Formats: sequence, structure tokens, C-alpha cells
Amino acid sequence: MKEFLLLIRSEEAPKANLSPEQLQAHIEKVGGFIKRLTEEGRMKSAQPLEMDGKILSYKNGKIIDGPYNETKEIISGYYHLLATDLEEAIEITKQDPRFEEGIWRIEIRPIKKVKGIN
Amino acid sequence: MTLYKNDSKKLTEHFFRNEYGKLVAVITQYIGSKNVETAEDIVQETLLKAVDHWQHSGIPKNPQAWLYTTAKNLTLNSINRKKHESNYLLNTLKKEHQLNPIEFSENLIMDGQLNMMFACCHPSISENSQIALILKILCGFSISEIANSFFTTNETINKRLVRGRKQLRKSNFDIRIIQNINDNVKIVLKTIYLLFNEGYYPSKKTTPFQYDLCLEAIRLTKLVIKSDHIKSKAECHALLALMYLNCSRFEARLDTADQTTIELPKQDRSLWNQDLIQLGIQQLQLATDENSVSKYLILATISAQHCIAKTYETTDWNSIVSLYDQLLSIENSPIIHLNKSVALSKTKGNKEAITQLLHLKTNSDIENHYLFHATLGELFKNEKQFKKAKSAYLKAINLTKNSRNIILLNKKINDLVPISKTQLL
Repeated sequence: MKEFLLLIRSEEAPKANLSPEQLQAHIEKVGGFIKRLTEEGRMKSAQPLEMDGKILSYKNGKIIDGPYNETKEIISGYYHLLATDLEEAIEITKQDPRFEEGIWRIEIRPIKKVKGIN
Repeated sequence: MTLYKNDSKKLTEHFFRNEYGKLVAVITQYIGSKNVETAEDIVQETLLKAVDHWQHSGIPKNPQAWLYTTAKNLTLNSINRKKHESNYLLNTLKKEHQLNPIEFSENLIMDGQLNMMFACCHPSISENSQIALILKILCGFSISEIANSFFTTNETINKRLVRGRKQLRKSNFDIRIIQNINDNVKIVLKTIYLLFNEGYYPSKKTTPFQYDLCLEAIRLTKLVIKSDHIKSKAECHALLALMYLNCSRFEARLDTADQTTIELPKQDRSLWNQDLIQLGIQQLQLATDENSVSKYLILATISAQHCIAKTYETTDWNSIVSLYDQLLSIENSPIIHLNKSVALSKTKGNKEAITQLLHLKTNSDIENHYLFHATLGELFKNEKQFKKAKSAYLKAINLTKNSRNIILLNKKINDLVPISKTQLL
């Protein structure tokens, strides 16, 4: 099994415009998806992220705030997934019912295993 | 949902929608009706928090309590923030609540929703805006869901809401003033009835009815009936009876093949929901306890007559005709005359019904309504005057905006043909 980090991307405050009915559907569908994968042992972790965080960088000898992205796109959550290879990870990700809402993008990144370390 | 394990808590249908209305109603009681929009924001935030938590860690044992605690904390935060910003919100807080801790008790939820319902139906607010406000604030519909229900645009609904909210902020309604509530019960019932009818007979739409709107109308009427503040409830029971009885025919009314309506004579009566009919009859009995006659009571009694008849032909048409006469003495409207004509054709014959309809045309604008021509077409067909029937159906098609009605009417025209083509020429 290989490990994958899935970055859930969206515009800022993605769910703000969903109606109560749509929010309930989201919990039921996406919640069910996460639960199933967790029970199958494929989902090691899945968490939403707060909207306000910090970006730090190093400039002119000191650590500074920023620079922040110009775009409105943010990472609003992540999945830590197990799959045999990238193809299977893609197939699993395609089953995420959140895609039906049309406001999400998911980036699938294999976690690099460096031999000899760990 | 099959993905869920048996031990996992499932949310009841429309849970968020219903809780939205309850939460907004209670919070508004604390922060004042001038701040309804703040209350709505707090509730939306509460639901968003629930989504983040529940989708990852499952639905809690008591989802309702979870929402109430979260909403309470967010409300307190909001009040504290505003305290720092200005005294604006603080000044609008009701004094007695400033001292009490916020709680979501059964009573407060009931009263809050009722208060909100009456505030939304304030006579200074137009009917269109009343319905939009009720659906948005009390029923948890989004703007686009309301727009879809009424086959209009988001902008139109938004305008109705903005106008409605303006009045809402002005009217500080309080149900604890008993005079207020009893003066306005009729308006509230009328708005609920309009909401129900929009679900039952959509004016312009592509599906034959919208069950959601009818269910909300029933839910709101039950809320009114539960309240101790209302003295006379006969009319409320009558309206609830009418809605239950009409809803009992939902399944039989839908032609699943082409999503059109199946009319009463052709419905499969075994599909009628006997539980709903029973509920309707119970309410009807409660409605007659007070010995007062209302429009809803007569309409419900007519609906009940249909519900208890074994077949269309053996319906007690004489009773129905006299019920329509009673109704006309309360509200002399051309639509009621039109409906009566169908019953009249069963007791006095099609010719008499046609004569009355043609007379009705001369002293009202009923001619502009597609149902007038559709009914006339039906009567002509029964009299085997197929040419006149066809021309009436064609006029009806020209007047309806509902594409399902057009399909239905075209079906009727096609049904005329096989009998005898020469009769159409």
C-alpha cells in the first residue's frame, strides 16, 4: 500500500452558499464516504482546515508573514489515503460525493517514501 | 444510506431545514426582531460547523442538542462582539432576556416560531413577500430553492425578501399580546393556504406538484394549532383537514409515465392514503366543534366527500353542489362557480352546467383562466360535441403556462379523435 495526501481545494468559504437541505445532504453523502473508507482501513485521517492560518517565509534574514496567494483558492481540508497505486487513488477519489456540488477540486499527491530513512 | 453502520445515527429527513427555522426563531427572541438577519447568519454558521464536525467524526448521539449548544455559544459571541462595537444590538435586546441565560426549551422554540410566523405575515407585508419570508426564515429554504419553487429568478425572490425584511424590522410583533395574534390568525392561515396551493397546483412549472411546499404548509398549521395563545382554532383545524385530505390523493394524482396529473375521475382510489384521510377526518371533527363555518371547513368537507366515495360516479354530488352554494355565500368567486359546475353536471346534467358556465363568462374574467376552457371542453366532450370540446381545449392550451397541463390537454384532444373523426370536422 502506498500513501497519498489529498488536498481538498475550493474557493473561500465554499459551503457558505449551500442551503440547509444541501448541507444535510453533504454530511450524509461525504460523511458516509469518509466513514466507509475509514472502516475499510484506507482512510488514515481526514480533517477540515480552518479558513484563517498563516504563511511564513524567510526574507532578508528574518521570518516574515506572507507572501499570501493572490488567488481566492484555499485548501479547505485533507485526506490521508492508502491505495495500491496512483490509479487506484484516483478511482477512490472520484467516488467522493462532494464533486456533485461542483465547488471542489481535489489534488492527489503520492507521499514520497525515502528508503533508508525512518 | 447503506454506507452507514447500524449503530451510526441518521438524520431525519429535512432535519437541517427544520432546525434552521427553530434556531432562527429562538435566537431572534434574544437579539430582537430587528436583527433577524444576524440570527440567520449565526444559524448558517452553526450548520457549517456541524458539517465540518459530523462529516468527519460521525453524527452525534443527540444532533439537536449539539446544534443548540453551538448556536448558543455563537449567539453569545455575537452579542459580546456587538457590545464592544456599539450599543446598537444591546439596545434592541429585550430586557428580560438580558438577565436570562439563552436556552432552547420546547416552549421557547414553539413560541419563537409562532412569533416569527405572525411577524412574517404582518398585514403591512405583501403576500408574495410573506411567503418568501416564511420559506426563507422559518422553513430554511435558500433563495434559489424558493426561486425554483415559484419558477422565478433569484433576483425576484431577493427583492421580495428585501422588501419584506424592511417591514419586518419595523413591525416588532409579539405574540404574548393576545389581541395581536387573534386578529392576525386569518392572514397567517391564508398565507399558509397559498403556500399549500403553490405546492398542490403550481401556477407555472414543469412538474405537477411540489410535495415539499405542501409538507411545510402542514407543519406550520400544526404549529399554530399547538399554540395556547390562539383562542378559536376551528379554522386552523379545517385548514389542516383540507390539506391532509388533499394530500391523501398525491400518489394517485401523479402519472409517473409522463409526470402529468391524473384527474379525479381517472384516479386509482386504492392508492389514496387512508392514514392521511383518517387524519383529515379527525381534524374535520375538531373543526366542526365550534359551530362556525369557514371557507376551509367547506372545502375540506367537499374533499372528504370525494375521499369517502367508492367511485367517482357514486360520489354524493348533491351534497357537493349544496356545499359549493354555501361556499359561494361566503366568497362569491368565479373559480368556485367553475368548480361547482363540475358537480352540477352530475346532478343537473352537462347542458345545465354548460349554460351556467357560459353565463359566468359574461359577468367575470374567468375566460382568461385555462381551467374555464378545460372544464368547458370536458362538458362538451361528455355531451359528444367534439368540435366544441376541441376548440375549448385549444383555448385552454393557449392560456396555461404549465407545460404539464399542455401535455395533459393535448392528450385530451387526441382522445377525442378515435371516437369518430367525422364529428371533429
